[in-house]
Amino acid sequence: MSSQAVEEYLEALYKLSESGPVRQARLAEHLGLSQTAAAAMVKKLISLQLAERDEAAYINLTKRGTKAALETIRKHRLSERFLTDILGLPWEKAHEEACKLEHVISPEVEDGLDRLLNNPKSCPHGHPIPDKQGVVTTLPTRPLSDLGADEKGVIARVSEDDPEMLKYLATLGLMPDVEIVVEEIGPFNGPLLVQIGAARYALGRDLAERIMVKESA
Amino acid sequence: MALSCHGAIDKIKGEVDFTFALAGNPNVGKSTLFNQLTGMGVMTANYPGKTVELNIATTTFENHRIGIIDLPGTYAIGGVSEDQWVARQAVIDGDPDVVIVMVDATNLARNLYIVLQFLDLGFPLVLALNLIDQAEKKGLTTNAEQLALLLGVPVVPTVATRGQGLDALMKTAVKVAKNRGSQPAHGTRYDEDTEQLIRELEAGVNAANNGFPHNLSSRALSILLLERDDEFLNAAAKSAEGRELMAQADRLSARIEEMHGKPSPVSLARERYGLAGVITSEVQTLSRRETPLSEKLWRSTTAPFSGLVILAAVLTGLFAFLFFVGSFLSNQFTHIWSLTASPVIDGVIRFVAGTGVVAHTLNWGFDAGIMATLGVGIPYVLTFYFLLAILEDTGYLNSVAFLTDRIMHKFGLHGRAIIPLVAGAGCSVPAIIGTRVLTTERERVVASTLITLVPCSARTAVIIGALAFVGGWQPAAAIFAIVLVLIVAVGMALNSILPNQPGGLVMEMFPFRMPSLLSITKKTWYRFKHFITAAMPIVFVGSIVLGAAYETGYIWKLSAPMAPIVEGWLGLPAVAGLTLLFAVLRKELALQLLVTLAVVKYGPEAKNLLKFMTADQLFVYALFNTIYIPCVATIAILARELSWKKAVGISTFTVLLATFVGGIVMRVLTLF
Repeated sequence: MSSQAVEEYLEALYKLSESGPVRQARLAEHLGLSQTAAAAMVKKLISLQLAERDEAAYINLTKRGTKAALETIRKHRLSERFLTDILGLPWEKAHEEACKLEHVISPEVEDGLDRLLNNPKSCPHGHPIPDKQGVVTTLPTRPLSDLGADEKGVIARVSEDDPEMLKYLATLGLMPDVEIVVEEIGPFNGPLLVQIGAARYALGRDLAERIMVKESA
Repeated sequence: MALSCHGAIDKIKGEVDFTFALAGNPNVGKSTLFNQLTGMGVMTANYPGKTVELNIATTTFENHRIGIIDLPGTYAIGGVSEDQWVARQAVIDGDPDVVIVMVDATNLARNLYIVLQFLDLGFPLVLALNLIDQAEKKGLTTNAEQLALLLGVPVVPTVATRGQGLDALMKTAVKVAKNRGSQPAHGTRYDEDTEQLIRELEAGVNAANNGFPHNLSSRALSILLLERDDEFLNAAAKSAEGRELMAQADRLSARIEEMHGKPSPVSLARERYGLAGVITSEVQTLSRRETPLSEKLWRSTTAPFSGLVILAAVLTGLFAFLFFVGSFLSNQFTHIWSLTASPVIDGVIRFVAGTGVVAHTLNWGFDAGIMATLGVGIPYVLTFYFLLAILEDTGYLNSVAFLTDRIMHKFGLHGRAIIPLVAGAGCSVPAIIGTRVLTTERERVVASTLITLVPCSARTAVIIGALAFVGGWQPAAAIFAIVLVLIVAVGMALNSILPNQPGGLVMEMFPFRMPSLLSITKKTWYRFKHFITAAMPIVFVGSIVLGAAYETGYIWKLSAPMAPIVEGWLGLPAVAGLTLLFAVLRKELALQLLVTLAVVKYGPEAKNLLKFMTADQLFVYALFNTIYIPCVATIAILARELSWKKAVGISTFTVLLATFVGGIVMRVLTLF
């Protein structure tokens, strides 16, 4: 297994674990691998002490593994910024190109990019760029339900517990990176009246608790 | 008449030259357009197990007979909600020659979403750009020609409420229908990466294209699979090639997720919104930003303080209208009926069946029974429907739902439930039909049960009439207080007993719109017709059965089996128990019958109920009459709206509750 593949897997494992513990099957699905290929890969990561399997059969990154994953993510996102900001590539294209660059960038080039781009905090898609020590400074998010009348924010994520609801909300335009303005709070701590573009919705409080927002840019 | 969708669509398609489907977001004026285009002969149909209905009608335009399928108003078409599923299924089954998508010019970007979905499915489209007058008031101008160019489909500006542009719309739609097949497919363009994945999956779809239930293009199917559409994924899972295709779709969806950091359905939705936004910004210009009066008024109905004040006024008005105007009309109706219809019916029965027991029994059914249905139907149901249609069409119902959502949540209901609950104070029957504004079966069961407990005007009349003998307003107030406590307790209990917690509220809010009288009238009429056809037969049969028991004298034999409960537990005279049995027909009958039977049994002085009943007994009598099964018409409507099983369950429950509470209250009263 090449070091490039290891980096890819670490990156995938890290991203998946952001939304909860990861099972081998989910990893295989995410990477489009067969179960056997995924098993072999997990075995390899464990032998390299980059990952471990806990009692519940979840796969967790070790400290070393996390650091390596964040290093790759940092290179990927710095490359993306470089490709979009300096070279003017479209976002989607930038992602693809950055997937290749992330594996060949040396620490010197990485530092150079960081200086050139003025130490950017996030990639073009809004995801945070880990710093040199592997520390991720995420923009603080809070549930939409914490916002008061006349406050606004940008949807950071919607809880994925209920995929059908997630799909439904997306068809209404309630999805990440969309600006949302709270116009009114229903009486007795009731639902929220929100505005998205030209549309207005009443959102139940329970639902608003599952929508995380960050500060508007 | 409720038909199954397949049958209804096939029937229409056999009779017409072209079929048009009307689609679009809720509240864009689609039903106004439908009503303008069609006459009174509308069929409603629904898919088995679904409550969302389709309206189907025919019309003639330029010598072409055209069938029109009015799809439910939805923000999108897909599998995530019942209305979206019905909308999609109906276009797939109906295979219309043209889909007319009505879009709201004041909120173009969101409305273009469903347009892009229809383009994905590959249907020939015509856009009706509606509410251009409202948009202009907001300072928004839309370049319809450019919109048509960007989307590749004809766009016709309309103001449906005034009938503006409808002729041009139909002309365009007929033209498109005539050239069907020659219109180049002009699908949505996603970004290059996504397009590549769609093409990749299309190859797989073409290889495995069997087993899919519908004749959709391979591109349409690929997009549906990438959107993780359950129905199509399940269809694929049925064959070996399908499962291979599914595995491929899974892989490609994972690729999309990896590329865009979001699950593939969200990612595709996002791209569509992106595109809709870009198109909107290219075709619309905002000249000034000004809040129209209707919007200011609307905002005051959702603001916490003014909103609650307005709500209290509207609910009081609704209650007062049903209570006073309804009972006035009801009295007038009964009076006129007894002067005109009764003698005729009586004469006919006398001619056919003579004057014996049979004739008297028939009289119960044909005279009292039919009068009971119309006596509830015309004064209460018709007026309520009219008021409800106004509340719905102006958009006020949504403000109400917003304001009361939190309180209703305690009962597992959404804010919209407040309207039927309050309407229940007028008459339970329209109120229960009104629970259709609720989206889940669970909510409808809870709301319907609570409505049966809300004292309707007939029961209030008994409370006031019976307690007038006792004197003072306090006993009547005490009954209302007891019932209120019961409603709250039952509501909270049901919410904790019934499985599944209520889903989150997501509801579009839109500023007030001027409702069209035509569509309000039509809506009222259709609902009224439904009520009459559902309630009439049951009330009729119930009347005949009870009438037979009365006329044969069999009724007196019923007092013995009822004695342990009526006399033993409730402490009421046997005669009172019999009248409660009859009040199932019409609640206000309880008191009239009590006086009649008492006179038969105890002699003329029993006209004053206190001669044979104590004040406590009258109190328990009125309380019992208020809580137990509403009336036959209500049971019929419960069965129609929910199911016979649930209707019987709710009715039994209310009888048990009334018995339990009545007995307890009687024992508490004897302590004083």
